[in-house]
Amino acid sequence: MFKKFNYLTLALAGAFLLTACGGSSNKGGSSDELTFNDSLANAAPLELSEEVMSDVIQNISSPVEMASLIKSTGVDFSQKILNKPEQIDNYNTSFKRALNLGVYSADLGYINTFDKNTIVVSYLVSIKSLAEGIKVGQFFDFNSLKRLATNSNNLDSLMQISISSFNKMDSYLRNQKRSNVSSLIVTGAWIEGLYISGKVIEQTNNKSLINRMAEQKEIINILEIILNNYSNQPNFAELSERLAKLKTAYQGVKITTEIGEPKTMEVDGKLVIVQDEISHIEVSPEQITAIISEINALREFIVS
Amino acid sequence: MKKSLYSILFLLTMFAFAGHAQCGDDLLKQALKEMGSSQYIKDFTIELVKEKKDLKTGYIKFSIFLNSNTQYKFNVANGPANTDKVIMQLKDKEGTRVLASNLYNGKTYDEFSYVCRKAGVYNLLFSFKGGQEGCAKAVLSLVKQMP
Repeated sequence: MFKKFNYLTLALAGAFLLTACGGSSNKGGSSDELTFNDSLANAAPLELSEEVMSDVIQNISSPVEMASLIKSTGVDFSQKILNKPEQIDNYNTSFKRALNLGVYSADLGYINTFDKNTIVVSYLVSIKSLAEGIKVGQFFDFNSLKRLATNSNNLDSLMQISISSFNKMDSYLRNQKRSNVSSLIVTGAWIEGLYISGKVIEQTNNKSLINRMAEQKEIINILEIILNNYSNQPNFAELSERLAKLKTAYQGVKITTEIGEPKTMEVDGKLVIVQDEISHIEVSPEQITAIISEINALREFIVS
Repeated sequence: MKKSLYSILFLLTMFAFAGHAQCGDDLLKQALKEMGSSQYIKDFTIELVKEKKDLKTGYIKFSIFLNSNTQYKFNVANGPANTDKVIMQLKDKEGTRVLASNLYNGKTYDEFSYVCRKAGVYNLLFSFKGGQEGCAKAVLSLVKQMP
């Protein structure tokens, strides 16, 4: 009996110590989920290490913020500008699946921001299908998401859980040294966020949105680093070339920084800090038109 | 002697289990609850432990992109076994200048709001006072966007 306890204790100690040290990033994975034998398999050595890539990818702006800014303009929700859920049948390669997983994630953020729960499920189905196609379906608890989507009181939770699922998936991919997949998802999401914004700008000419679109200039440089890192693969090289055209359209955008007064205050027991640096953006209507045109072309390449 | 060994192993097991439970999903749920009505963007896991050779724990760093004219909230839920609250620092891209921190006038706050006026890459650092060990979950959320 005592000997049994001994073995059991050792086994438990080992198991718990392993899980305690393992962190959250390894959850939900099994060895077969790492198999990825098509166009996204890494063959050649990377110019940047996976660690650096991981750090760089984290710097891509969240499409949810863009969706929130769009809503604040007062413009009506428009489903027709989104990528259609039934389009997933056209995405037969891991490259396209990963890119469009990002596209649908941005669409989902836009849909959730406008509380359009009637169409959420069809987008969740597409996301689930694409995620399974690139072996990361385990991060989407479809039944829970569907349950939340069908109850209008749970829309905040739906938003939170879906973003969290994407974050966990992204973290998992990077930890599994599949930053190439992760980079495509964030690229797709970022482009779709800009595409939706472009449509709203064409409709409203909203100054805040124009400035937000213009200040994404810095992201282009980050994406360029990411995608060039995999340019030994033809599909990545093509995407990089198309992104270069967008970068050219952004060249005329001027961003200057002025140093202002930093402020730290306590408001109702909470700490509020106002940044001392203030950026100023100079962008002409012609430049914005050219940027939107390149975004539309890039988005067409991704979703077609 | 044998009995003591079993006791130590048992305690070690329980300790590992407790440590894992304290810094897991429940702590994240707490941080999300304390986020309030802000819009969730991202969460961060902080687990700082001393290696055998170390006298102190260091810090853990995350890169983030913040947009201008936007108010963000950074809030944190501390592990129940932490000796002190975790210190959050928002630094510039180069990591040389502290732009915001939850440690202000000697008090460690559980959150701070940051009004970002320049879009770009920033670094978010977490550490414990005196290099102690500890764990925490932090959440970055969107409070509002200014026109």
